[in-house]
Amino acid sequence: MPKCTVNGIEVEVKDGATVIEAFMKTNESIAHYCWHPGLSVAGVCRMCMVEIEGNPRLQIACNTPVQDGMVVYNNSEKVKEAVEWTLKFHLINHPLDCPICDQAGECGLQEYYMSHGSYDSEMAERKVKKHKVVDLGEKVVLDTERCILCSRCVRFTDEVTKTNELGIFNRGDRSEIGTFENRPLNNKYSLNTVDICPVGALTSKDFRFRQRVWFLKSFETICQGCSAGCNVQAYYNENGFYRVKPVPNEEVNGHWMCDEGRDVYKFANKEHRLVSGIKKEDSGLSHMAPGAAAVQLREDLSDTKKAALVLTGQYTTEEYLKFVDSFTKNYGNEVYHWINNPKTFDDFDGILLRGDKNPNTVGLLRVLEGKGIKSSWADLEEKLNSGQIEHLVVAGPENLAVFPDLEEKVTLFGQAQKLTVLTPVKSKFYESADYQIPMKSFMEKDGTFVNHKGIEQKLGRGPIVVSQALTLLDLSMILDGSDFISVNSASMGGSL
Amino acid sequence: MSIVKKENSLSKWYLPGILKGLGITFRNLIKNLTSRDEMLTLNYPEEKYEYGPRFKGNHVLTVKKDGSLRCTACMLCATNCPADCITIVAAEHDDPSVEKYPINYEIDILRCVFCGFCEEACPVDAIRMGPEWQVPGVNGASFINNISELAYRPSLGGGIKTVLDDEERIKGGI
Repeated sequence: MPKCTVNGIEVEVKDGATVIEAFMKTNESIAHYCWHPGLSVAGVCRMCMVEIEGNPRLQIACNTPVQDGMVVYNNSEKVKEAVEWTLKFHLINHPLDCPICDQAGECGLQEYYMSHGSYDSEMAERKVKKHKVVDLGEKVVLDTERCILCSRCVRFTDEVTKTNELGIFNRGDRSEIGTFENRPLNNKYSLNTVDICPVGALTSKDFRFRQRVWFLKSFETICQGCSAGCNVQAYYNENGFYRVKPVPNEEVNGHWMCDEGRDVYKFANKEHRLVSGIKKEDSGLSHMAPGAAAVQLREDLSDTKKAALVLTGQYTTEEYLKFVDSFTKNYGNEVYHWINNPKTFDDFDGILLRGDKNPNTVGLLRVLEGKGIKSSWADLEEKLNSGQIEHLVVAGPENLAVFPDLEEKVTLFGQAQKLTVLTPVKSKFYESADYQIPMKSFMEKDGTFVNHKGIEQKLGRGPIVVSQALTLLDLSMILDGSDFISVNSASMGGSL
Repeated sequence: MSIVKKENSLSKWYLPGILKGLGITFRNLIKNLTSRDEMLTLNYPEEKYEYGPRFKGNHVLTVKKDGSLRCTACMLCATNCPADCITIVAAEHDDPSVEKYPINYEIDILRCVFCGFCEEACPVDAIRMGPEWQVPGVNGASFINNISELAYRPSLGGGIKTVLDDEERIKGGI
């Protein structure tokens, strides 16, 4: 464990660690574009210059291993001047079109350009014109003029996905990032290249031009897309959620997340949400407040002799604990686990993507085990077919895209005399249900998801989109006999 | 406000003051009747006072030589706006050298405080404040100006063109 001194702060690092890692450990700022903690060292941007005591020349921090007793600093005039000149080289052919660039506001180049403030270029030559708006694949757009050739995206496709779609073509100031003929950038992790791009060269088609980043607020939470449980940052403003980005967590997702997971914000937005409780009556559908619908459901259930509950792995552990508890206490031990894709359930692609498209299957199984419930899906089908179940309550999924069997299953559930669907999102398949009660999405509630490894992770609560929607906790209070929902769980915190 | 009363012999009497005042009234009446061009008042709203071109009134979106909007939808005006009255929806342009353009640009003119910060923030001279300011409307919605109002309203005669165009800018290597 070598020790070194970074800008006067003593720090101990792992064997073989580089100087830039020592800087990261001390939170001292150091300019860098090509270095990324999740990728190999390229040493091409030359921005992370540091002065090492006893060494007459400046060194790059990302490719210099720490030796015991090293004294390093990057706040001397010599280093500052070197960084400034390197930046000027980067800006020779960069168009500096920050106003229309989507990266503006979170761009490394813009940040240093503003701090060094050389607004008048010293170059007399014209900028080299390159290709703009190059379509790289289904999800990514490239602007080669803005690219500073840090090669992070190339290394990402080399090292992480091992698909090698991207390469650097041509030489000198005509070098460009590009794909090979007939081999577009279409892997399942392609949007990570957008995240790691330090400038606005790679942009996401989904987010491109939809919002300037400085209008967005963010919070950290857990991805809902599969059982990997990637840590993510969700960005929103008063109009809803806009995008999701990965947050580094070595134990769970490293630095990455998949492209599917980046769509999880969509169903949490208002246009996809069920906003009022719906009860089917002889005269048609009647809309009411979710709490009122839940109270009517309770009255309906109390007359029922045979009620059953179907759960999907899309709710939090706390909700399962309380809801399964109050359901079994009031209406008997019929609780079933709906597995959406039994054939691909245990798949794993070797990087992050899991076949189990529910964030909290392990949490649900733990709760069911704790309550000693061992019912199988075949039992439910048999009981439904023979008409033994009078009232079926289904805690439906949030992410309908990963439930390809939704229509088939809702038809199956329809065999019960009465069907209640608890769901955050609206779907035309639910129209036959007797009760539809809106639930909060994972963006709007506290709780715990347990990922496939059994790691428990807390959700971070974001803004409330549908304030009147319930959680399973609220619903279990109502089923237990309470007629009002506590202020605590209904809508605390900010609202959209 | 304090009123200073000058005490002198004339102000003690009622009529001299009245006659002096009426004298001014009749003098102006005769002047206005005989030389109407020099009359100071206007027959508003049929006649309106013309403000100088630098008056900061209602916004104008400038256009390029081909008549399309100059605005690149960078949203710096909306960012700088202290009244939060500018709403822009950006979209991808077919021409890669333009790249981004607004498909919707709205200014809520009732919210606007006419500070001119949008004009100052604009990096491409796409928004200016013009000399018009008295625009009637029947309800709140008619004060939300959209692109057709901001750039192509009849009084602008097909749009105000900027000096430098994209083509020239690209040719000049800027």
